[in-house]
Amino acid sequence: MSTEIQPYQVEFDEYLRDESRSVGHADSISFPKNEDELIEIVRKLSKTEIPVTVQGARTGLAAAAVPYGGHLINIGRMTRILGARYDEQDNRFFLTAEPGVLLSQLRKAVSSGEFEIAEPDDLTQAALCRYKAGEWFFSPDPTEASAALAGMVACNASGARSFCYGPVRPYVEALRLVLVDGRTLHIRRGEQKAKGRDFCLNLDDGSYIIGKLPDYAMPKVKNASGYYIEEDMDLIDLFIGGEGTLGIITQIELRLLPMPKAVWGITTFFPDEKSALRFVRGLRGEKEATGVEFSVKPAAIEFFNHKALDLLRIQKQKIAAFAHIQELKATYYNAVYTEFHADSEEKVWEMVEQMNQMLEALGVSPEDTWVANNPRDMEKLLVFRHAVPESVNMLIDQRRQKDPAITKLGTDMAVPDQYLDKIMDMYNGEIQTNGLDYVAFGHIGDNHLHVNILPRDMEDYRKGKALYLQWANAVSAMGGTVSAEHGVGKLKAPFLAVMMTDAGIEQMRALKAVFDPQGHLNPGNMFTMKKEGDA
Amino acid sequence: MKIIVCVKQVPATNEVKMDPVTNTIIREGVESILNPFDTYAIEEAIRIKEKQGAQITALSMGIPSVVTLLQEAVSLGVDDAILLSDRAFAGADTMATAYTLQLGVESIGDYDLILCGKMATDGDTAQVGPMLAEVLGIPQITDVGEILEIGTDFILCRRMTDDGYETVKSKLPAVITVTKEINIPRLPSIAGMKRGKAAKVPVMTSKDFQLEAERIGLSGSPTQVVRTFIPSHDIASEVLTGSPTEQAEALIEKLREQKLLNW
Ligand SMILES: Cc1cc2nc3c(=O)[nH]c(=O)nc-3n(C[C@H](O)[C@H](O)[C@H](O)COP(=O)(O)OP(=O)(O)OC[C@H]3O[C@@H](n4cnc5c(N)ncnc54)[C@H](O)[C@@H]3O)c2cc1C
Repeated sequence: MSTEIQPYQVEFDEYLRDESRSVGHADSISFPKNEDELIEIVRKLSKTEIPVTVQGARTGLAAAAVPYGGHLINIGRMTRILGARYDEQDNRFFLTAEPGVLLSQLRKAVSSGEFEIAEPDDLTQAALCRYKAGEWFFSPDPTEASAALAGMVACNASGARSFCYGPVRPYVEALRLVLVDGRTLHIRRGEQKAKGRDFCLNLDDGSYIIGKLPDYAMPKVKNASGYYIEEDMDLIDLFIGGEGTLGIITQIELRLLPMPKAVWGITTFFPDEKSALRFVRGLRGEKEATGVEFSVKPAAIEFFNHKALDLLRIQKQKIAAFAHIQELKATYYNAVYTEFHADSEEKVWEMVEQMNQMLEALGVSPEDTWVANNPRDMEKLLVFRHAVPESVNMLIDQRRQKDPAITKLGTDMAVPDQYLDKIMDMYNGEIQTNGLDYVAFGHIGDNHLHVNILPRDMEDYRKGKALYLQWANAVSAMGGTVSAEHGVGKLKAPFLAVMMTDAGIEQMRALKAVFDPQGHLNPGNMFTMKKEGDA
Repeated sequence: MKIIVCVKQVPATNEVKMDPVTNTIIREGVESILNPFDTYAIEEAIRIKEKQGAQITALSMGIPSVVTLLQEAVSLGVDDAILLSDRAFAGADTMATAYTLQLGVESIGDYDLILCGKMATDGDTAQVGPMLAEVLGIPQITDVGEILEIGTDFILCRRMTDDGYETVKSKLPAVITVTKEINIPRLPSIAGMKRGKAAKVPVMTSKDFQLEAERIGLSGSPTQVVRTFIPSHDIASEVLTGSPTEQAEALIEKLREQKLLNW
């Protein structure tokens, strides 16, 4: 039944869209329940000319999982955790999961130690004996916990804590994949590497794929745009952040980290933007920003600008779920959230005291801080942080009632450290010049803000779109990226073209062609296979 | 104005485990926190202080480690704190607790207002606040959802009832117990945490008071716990599967079986 390729019917409408709210179309759909079924479906399709779009939980913001014709494979029924492994020598814990396991499901299993593995092998049993709930965690923390693991791997997702721990990439230890022609491959980190820019990838059936890597240099910032390329790279990294264009992920082995003993979150409110930015730079260890030495790396540095706080103040009056957020004093202009992890409360307190010195140097009152040092209070700060994007979505939904063509225009760009002030001036200045409504929030530690333009009408929408493209150019010129975590998908392909130039896109096409000569797998993601001007 | 806030340490979980032999709460291995309702009492006291000025003392009866929780109260904005801690106080029921708190309150003296949480989440009795008022011989307003006005010698409150609310005026000093509607408790600030860490919390024992020994601790507690149990919630639920049409048909069938549909 579930290897069945079902013709498309209206009851499948929800599978035609993702959280970008773009809607596509499909001719057929399937819901494989395990790897064998998925392989069988792909093999059937490989004998046809039908393009295939793979989708995870459809929380993507760039329409990467939205099909534009052809067949749709939804992996939402492949949701088992399959095994575990403990590496005693390096004290590392690994979990193997099917691609459709949701982040929320993984988190629950990791925190409770209840993995519900149906047929544990010997390694798994041995590992589970060593497992203690509360001692491990999965560090990637994208805000949307209903994302599927494969979606996160395909987009190289990140979260607030990626400032310290990095994106999903380093936590992917092994992948199983099926290529568009039905061949399969099991790739483990460290086992298959490129030689310079040449690679030879061994597949399960003894065949191999030979190719050349693009020679573009990747931006030296947090990045989720375009194929990850480096000389002598580990070939597993081609598939992480590949947006499903090279192969379909059927199994993922993830690495967990030992849980820090002390986790504190602090939200600090600033009277103006300049002092907030100096604080951020200070937290990154740039002593000249505050005059105070700050020697530890925070787990997270997040920012909420004045417009974000203003919006929250309004929504707090209207939405019951936000009513429990502590009072935002009128003097609070914007906020920086910092998270500290350490192996004792005392060590965290030392960090807090250092941070406090910075606040004093900036003339910011240590009274204007919210400190959470236990899971209950951390939850309160999380509600506050998530309330900002949720408020944005509610506002947009309201405006869409007047004009359904309006959508939020959310950026996901990052630039190198030295451009922090410049990029903020650019965002604020150009928004003001254009008379647009907006909020900005996000991962300021990595100079990675989500500027959300909130169009009031189609005129605003058009202006916003133009601005967005203008920013893509500016950010690319600074050596930054057009998408640092959400991926390019279909919606941001024009921006990737700006960032990569024609030559870069052409090289990416050539790399994809080695795996998928017809361009049948996830067509339209990042780039189209046909060059512009082709029939 | 002088305010006393009575606070209690409770286990962080609301699935309290009981010792089947002694019928007392097993506290080992469970993280301890400030009774959630008391955090609202603390917040309300701080708001009064911010609005019209007040000196706030937090008062607790408990084991020595409760000092840390009282420092937490200071970090939120309470001025000072006192802990009543003695083996002789242990095992107290609500009556013995109220009496012991009375000793603490009277040693502080000269108070205008006593704030308590509506109840503690471990025992759920909601008796200590009212009993404290009783032993002190002062008025009480329970389940307060809003303080409307505080004058030099009166307080006007809105108390929550099952059917709505009542507006009650009382003279001061009085005991007020508060519900979660009353405010949104703040988190401590860095500055507050520094004050909390630096705060010295005096610990008073039975020797510090002239007391009636037969009214404290386990032996001073008339309550006898005969049996305790956690009410079970075993609602059986069934998940209907299949296509939407199949699910709808199955649902109709079920409703018919239960005689909830008669067509
Ligand atoms: C409210 C909200 C907050 C968000 N916050 C963040 C955030 O903080 N950080 C962040 O990084 N993202 C965030 N996102 C974006 C989104 O959650 C991530 O991009 C996520 O990784 C997508 O996962 P998904 O399972 O929903 O993937 P989908 O949207 O279903 O698909 C995304 C991509 O993955 C590919 N894919 C899915 N399954 C497979 C497979 N088996 N093999 C190969 N390719 C596959 C698809 O083809 C597509 O290219 C947010 C989204 C929302 C709605």
